[in-house]
Amino acid sequence: MINRRSVMGLFAGAASLVAAPFASRAAQRATPRANEMFQTRDDLPPPPKNPENVPGTLAPRGRNGRMERLPEIDLESRMDFLRSVRTFANEVMSPAAGKRADDILASKGISPDTVMPMQDAIALLQDDPVVGARTRAWTSVQQLTWKNIKAECEDNADTYLSEMEAVDNRGPGTLELNPDLEMPDYTRHEIHIQPGGYVGNDFAGHMYDYGTNGFYTGRNDQDALHMTAAFGLPIPADGKVRRILDIGTGIGQLALALKERFPDAEVWGIDVGGPMVRYGHLRAVERGMDVNFAQRLAEDTRFPDNHFDLVTSYIMFHEVSPQGTKDIVNEAFRITRPGGIFYPIDFNLKNPFPRTAYGQYRRWWDHRWNNEVWTIKYRTNGLPDLVRAAGFDLNEEGPVALPRFGVMNATKPA
Amino acid sequence: MSEKVEKGRSKAAPFIPADSDAAVFLGNPHIDNLMSVVIALGAEIWADRQRLKVVERLLETEGKATTAMVEAYVPTAAEKEAWETERMAMVERVYSVLSRDTSNARPFGEERQF
Ligand SMILES: C[S@@+](CC[C@H](N)C(=O)[O-])C[C@H]1O[C@@H](n2cnc3c(N)ncnc32)[C@H](O)[C@@H]1O
Repeated sequence: MINRRSVMGLFAGAASLVAAPFASRAAQRATPRANEMFQTRDDLPPPPKNPENVPGTLAPRGRNGRMERLPEIDLESRMDFLRSVRTFANEVMSPAAGKRADDILASKGISPDTVMPMQDAIALLQDDPVVGARTRAWTSVQQLTWKNIKAECEDNADTYLSEMEAVDNRGPGTLELNPDLEMPDYTRHEIHIQPGGYVGNDFAGHMYDYGTNGFYTGRNDQDALHMTAAFGLPIPADGKVRRILDIGTGIGQLALALKERFPDAEVWGIDVGGPMVRYGHLRAVERGMDVNFAQRLAEDTRFPDNHFDLVTSYIMFHEVSPQGTKDIVNEAFRITRPGGIFYPIDFNLKNPFPRTAYGQYRRWWDHRWNNEVWTIKYRTNGLPDLVRAAGFDLNEEGPVALPRFGVMNATKPA
Repeated sequence: MSEKVEKGRSKAAPFIPADSDAAVFLGNPHIDNLMSVVIALGAEIWADRQRLKVVERLLETEGKATTAMVEAYVPTAAEKEAWETERMAMVERVYSVLSRDTSNARPFGEERQF
């Protein structure tokens, strides 16, 4: 994202990105309250240094490692605050709501570990003020986060557009936009209520970058999760990793992390959202990274058969329809080379049904009101079976690319 | 597509809007609105407080603080951590009441029995 006060600094820092030696970053990380869901490695390469941006001094707002700072202190502060309220909703309000849910069940003589149909859980909990307050606070934070970043982008639309236009045709790395791409309807939703979704707003990439950083409650502002995933992925038995494709790449965070791990490989990221890959390309150019982006469908990647050593995705499948899932898995099989690996990372499927009434209520809320349209079907769609049916040998035991997430280590038989 | 972007420059496609504005979690849409209001207000207050911290810091180290200096200040890791802790403390002070146990709520007109 552009820093309107330091346009000149746009390409500074790009050259400083060389594969740095591993170093423990544990000490550098300020994590006042660990969010249990997001576990990252301590042995990742450090983010690039930004020599123009020295803590404790006056400097162009510029970058903070892998992330560009928001252009104004007020916006940055509001976003920080929203992130803190989100942390509070997750770590204080949620347990309170969960306890309240148990009390409600107990008052009706229902044991707290009763697995009940989702509609029953909703009926029991939807009118409770403590449960409702948590749902409301989280949703309000989500809406306000999008509202703030959207206003910043749209109020400065010309600036942000010009910044992308200036590098659309510039390397390293290529950008392919297909404005006439025929998109399946399931990809056109405003998933997690992001304004315009992935396809419908020119600043979808900007909004996703800063909006999801709030969702990760600050734990991913250096792409630590994507880096953890990239450095945890298995490689083919013959050790050859020459070509990598990340499908549903969004703004290319995993693609860039993979390039950091495999600097000599040809890396591609594709996504249905034009504005997503466009911003991904901008981000890669700013960091001087040779990664290729294309607006294409994961079910129709237009790459040759047996082309890639490694095909990845990160939190894409829970946003894909059942038919889309099937088509994408088959396409992944076609383009993975014999002996190559397909490893889609997404929410763990080991426990497809929430074990508590409050969990059921929340799953419904996420689906219906956070507009995660496909997330319930994702849990019951049998992704592992589809992966096997496509022809892959599937190992669901390991390695764990990203702690807490599902293991889906699929090899195309040689 | 955003109405702020001219058609010729846009790379956006038609989308299917969410209807999350229609959600009512607290029994009355106005109360739902008020939650958004109080969180937004908190963010505005924090933004002021953040500015003030930077101004104080600049006055200590530079002897003056202009708008441009406030925008340009890069906090140290220790400052960032301290701010984060303070922000969380403010959030807890202000919003904890939202999770208080309300199961003892009684009707306004009900006399208390001792
Ligand atoms: C939750 S985002 C994840 C983005 C990214 N992988 C990341 O690391 O955050 C899901 C992405 O999948 C993309 N997507 C969904 N269906 C797709 C499809 N059929 N083809 C290509 N991309 C798709 C969306 O546009 C969106 O960018």
